[in-house]
Amino acid sequence: MKSRKLKLIITLALVMAASCNDPETVVTNIIHRDGSVTRRIEMKSLENKFEISDIQVPFDSTWIVRDSLEITGEGDTIWVKRAEKQFASVEEINGDYQADSGANKGFVRRAEFRKKFKWFNTEYNFAEVINKKMLHGYPVSDFLDKEELKWFYTPDNLNDEKKNGPDSLRFRAFSDTVDKKLEKWYLRSLVSEWISEFAILTGDKTDSDMTQESLKKRENEFVTIVENNIEYFDSLWSNGTLLREFIGEENAIKYKSEADSAASIATDHFWDSFKDYTVRTIMPGKLTGTNGFIDSTGILLWPVNSDFFMTEQYIMHAESKVPNTWAWIVSGLFLLFVVTGIILKKKKSVS
Amino acid sequence: MKMTKENDRYKKIIEILRNSRPDLIQPEGIENEVIRKIQNEDQKTGTVSDFIESLFSWVYIGWVRRSLVGAAVVLVAVFIYQQGFILKQVRNISERVVNIGNEQVSVPSSDFARRLTLYKMSTRLAPAGGKRVSEKQLEDILNSYDELLVKYKDLIRIIEEDPALKQYIENKLNEEGNKKSDI
Repeated sequence: MKSRKLKLIITLALVMAASCNDPETVVTNIIHRDGSVTRRIEMKSLENKFEISDIQVPFDSTWIVRDSLEITGEGDTIWVKRAEKQFASVEEINGDYQADSGANKGFVRRAEFRKKFKWFNTEYNFAEVINKKMLHGYPVSDFLDKEELKWFYTPDNLNDEKKNGPDSLRFRAFSDTVDKKLEKWYLRSLVSEWISEFAILTGDKTDSDMTQESLKKRENEFVTIVENNIEYFDSLWSNGTLLREFIGEENAIKYKSEADSAASIATDHFWDSFKDYTVRTIMPGKLTGTNGFIDSTGILLWPVNSDFFMTEQYIMHAESKVPNTWAWIVSGLFLLFVVTGIILKKKKSVS
Repeated sequence: MKMTKENDRYKKIIEILRNSRPDLIQPEGIENEVIRKIQNEDQKTGTVSDFIESLFSWVYIGWVRRSLVGAAVVLVAVFIYQQGFILKQVRNISERVVNIGNEQVSVPSSDFARRLTLYKMSTRLAPAGGKRVSEKQLEDILNSYDELLVKYKDLIRIIEEDPALKQYIENKLNEEGNKKSDI
């Protein structure tokens, strides 16, 4: 039974990658100085089929919708649905996220807006946050260095350009290294998640050598066991061999159902189906900080991919500053006043 | 001879003009008015200088002068720091400018890599010589699975919200269980 389930999960995950009928969705947030947000969604699909359950972000009948048909450079016909809605504040967006019935409704997402007066300038901060899927996984930064992290978060088409451009061999080798490290990250996080869930499920029933701390200490050992048996993982897990090797014969029989449930929870967290999309943000004033990418038109851009929030919150953050003209004038007048006073005093003392 | 005649005439006219003075009703009044106007002009000049004097009187009070100069220095320092910091931030930002090409950003390679790993795992796990499923068929399975999942969740929610329906389904399931056990 377990064997079938694992195979099904793997097959489904594979098919998710192959599936190309989902609309390509770009969400654009236009942030206004008063904290209101104009949100635009652009969905492109080869079919004129836009089910709410397929759409990656909250969407309902309150949006102003415009449909159009476009011909691509290759001569393909694509259906484009453009929708726009004015939100008085980020709280309204968050309300929509909570009531979302779209493709990614199972994921906790929110928007944040902060405005800070700094005399000469006013600072605006906007962020879209997606909560992590796995509660006990490891941050990807534990496995990748700075350059590799940059590669990991870079949109695929940019990495592809490098892999197919000059110095392609070096970039391909680098990409392979990153992929191998990422595979290690997936496995370690999955094992860690299983251990924690298993410890929660067994609770006080277990002996001292079965507590979360003691199991965590043996995590590397368990990862090695799984790595060495990855080819026959499914059958070895279902017949209890792996579990016996990890927690001993007696415990494996005693806690088989808890171990299976923990495995089920961990894999559910790992393979939670998420439909990717792109977030774009336009900030008021001069852009001064972001962790996203900036396209040639100066618009901020983030790819939203499930790996980015597997073990850590994914924060798409932008900061901008708007100069306060009146504060500049007041400050200038004040300086003039003080300088004039000092000059007058000097003149008088000279005369 | 002619010149002497003209000179005489000129002198006579001047004499007449000198003797025919205008009749002033109150010459003292006019005199007073002129003096008053001159005094007012002096007073006006005095008010402006007094105003400037009072406006900048703080320069003679040591602690006020020092405080205002201090405030001005702080203001200039804050301005330089803020603008310098913004310039530095903007310079850093410019390093993040990329040519995306199209609006939709494709899935990073790592995700494909993960899926590829899963694919390898699934082929390893598949029985030897087992029939492979086509991509289209797998796609259909996923679509059906997604639809089924949504419908299942909705169904569970509807059942949970309706106690009578929940009871009915539980009874039905029990009946089914009993039937099976009979067999």
